[in-house]
Amino acid sequence: MPNSRSAPSIFHFAIAFGTGGLLTLMILFNGTLAVYGSLFFASWVPHLMGTFAALLFLAILRPKRAMAKRPPLWAYLGGVSGGVTVILTSATVNTALALSGTIALGLAGQMIFSLIADAKGLFGLPQRMPSARDLCALALIMSGSLILIFFGGGL
Amino acid sequence: MIWFATLALLAGVLVSLSRQINGRLALSTSAMESSFWNHLVGLIFVTLLALAVGGLFAGEPTEAPWWAFVGGPVGVVFIAAGSWLIPRIGAAQTAMLIIAGQMVSGVVLDVAMSAPGEPWVRVIGVALILAGMWVARSGD
Repeated sequence: MPNSRSAPSIFHFAIAFGTGGLLTLMILFNGTLAVYGSLFFASWVPHLMGTFAALLFLAILRPKRAMAKRPPLWAYLGGVSGGVTVILTSATVNTALALSGTIALGLAGQMIFSLIADAKGLFGLPQRMPSARDLCALALIMSGSLILIFFGGGL
Repeated sequence: MIWFATLALLAGVLVSLSRQINGRLALSTSAMESSFWNHLVGLIFVTLLALAVGGLFAGEPTEAPWWAFVGGPVGVVFIAAGSWLIPRIGAAQTAMLIIAGQMVSGVVLDVAMSAPGEPWVRVIGVALILAGMWVARSGD
């Protein structure tokens, strides 16, 4: 049976919310690179610096491997998907969609695919069905986000 | 227009797809190792693409302020956190709460940097997001 009770603990909750804050910093830093250099440069530099930073963190933290068995090869390809995202958004941001339309549709695509993936248990991750309360919370957060995107002036 | 809208939607799908693939890798290895592979594979991909298309160092990249170069290490923590969260609270909860955090911190940053914007719109938007988070947390 899929796990339908999916309200996260306050600990997970705080980490996820703070992770969103990191995204704002990344947009500020990487977006500033794009002001001075090319779009490729603004994606290349954080990937390069990130690779070295991750090596350093791994050397310091030395995390244990969760399983002795190797994961499937496709599990190493998350970075390609992230790279294609940069190309797609830079292609649409200069059309009639503009930045606000690109961000809003991006959020929609992200949520729709996340809900499908949860319901089906895609990619070997735990299956779970969203509850009515989850969907209510989602509707409130998305409407607040869309108001900020289209009428907030910033972003 | 429909074509570009589809591309923008697809970009969002890929954000979620990438987080799920990295989450699957973290299940077998660790969140930080998953973040390392995400960055290394992404670096190879972007490098090959930039070599094929050209113009990687176009513009005045050396003029960028030093702090603009620290996005990479922040991204490492971002990817590691997403990979850690997704098997624990699911793809939808992870995406929803990251979006909430991004939007609220974006408003805080805009206010701190005195970016132009309608104060009432910001108050209503942030209030709706906080209400959504309260609904998600209530009834435990």
